[in-house]
Amino acid sequence: MSGELPYDRILREYLTGELRVLNAHLPGKQKSLADLWDEEYPHVLCNDGSVHLFKRKELRYLDSLIDSGERKALLLPILIEVNAGRGEMAVLCPGEVEKKVIQKVLDMPLDVREGRVTIYRPQLALVRKRLKTTTQYIFSPQL
Amino acid sequence: MPQLIKVTRPTKIELIKLRRRLSLASRIQKLIKDRVSILVMEFLQIAGQTVEVKRGLLDDFSAMYKALSLAAGYHGYIALEKEFTASEGGLEIAAGLRNIGGVKIPAFELKKTRQALRGYSLIDTSSWLDRTAELSEKCLEAIVELAELQRSMAQLGMEINRTKRIVNALEYLIIPSLQATIKYLNMKFEERDREEKSRLKRVKVLLERK
Repeated sequence: MSGELPYDRILREYLTGELRVLNAHLPGKQKSLADLWDEEYPHVLCNDGSVHLFKRKELRYLDSLIDSGERKALLLPILIEVNAGRGEMAVLCPGEVEKKVIQKVLDMPLDVREGRVTIYRPQLALVRKRLKTTTQYIFSPQL
Repeated sequence: MPQLIKVTRPTKIELIKLRRRLSLASRIQKLIKDRVSILVMEFLQIAGQTVEVKRGLLDDFSAMYKALSLAAGYHGYIALEKEFTASEGGLEIAAGLRNIGGVKIPAFELKKTRQALRGYSLIDTSSWLDRTAELSEKCLEAIVELAELQRSMAQLGMEINRTKRIVNALEYLIIPSLQATIKYLNMKFEERDREEKSRLKRVKVLLERK
């Protein structure tokens, strides 16, 4: 912006950078449970170049929740969308397997709307407790 | 009282710029507030787990030392030392990172803990030593888990502090000063309008007199 003071420019860049950092950890590409099962160190590469490691214990737990034929359909990490200023979160469910997993973890029936399952904070805590490495947050800047 | 932001010239363009900046700052504040609340939730969860694991580890340690002293009493220290030397082996830990809302925290996983053969002679030793070995393996797993949890807590704590400072700066400094400057500029424009109106009235009166 022309005529902008250095302080303001720094502030603007810092705030925009903060927004960029929020989603830098997202995986470049999700991997199926079947693919991760065969890896010695199950992991995905993130957009910021870091490696996100999955715990075998959690993969075994996920495997116990689904049928063996569904291993290829379950994409990991499962993404949890956080909407700014709202108390609810949404688990992104491109397929039925993700819904099945979340339903079994929470032990309650859930509805998928526009490829998302809405959950609330207490439920989020439960999901994160069981699936620490196999879920990741995605921050949505839309208001 | 919020400080006014220095504007080069009080113009409408400046006002539009400030309004844009205010909307950006408000959006970011909401996002960062959500991030802080998620980080706090994760921190509390990890703190709870740390307490649980630490308590379990202390119980396991005490059981392990009991079993060890029984084994030492049964076999004698020299024989036990000999068996321990034979069973020495390396540890394999898979270390990586996991991410919680932009915070990189370590993830450790102990590999090959439970072994069918531990290296010591099964003929010369008793089940007391097996029990000791089993408990010490359990302790090892808990130590690795505790290391991960404690490091995660430290990392999350630092990030919560940093993010809270940003939220506070936005909430108590940046957004109020932007709002105050916008208000100041609006008042300035209204004042200009009033001046213009009174000037026109004066000119009209002068023209009428002529």
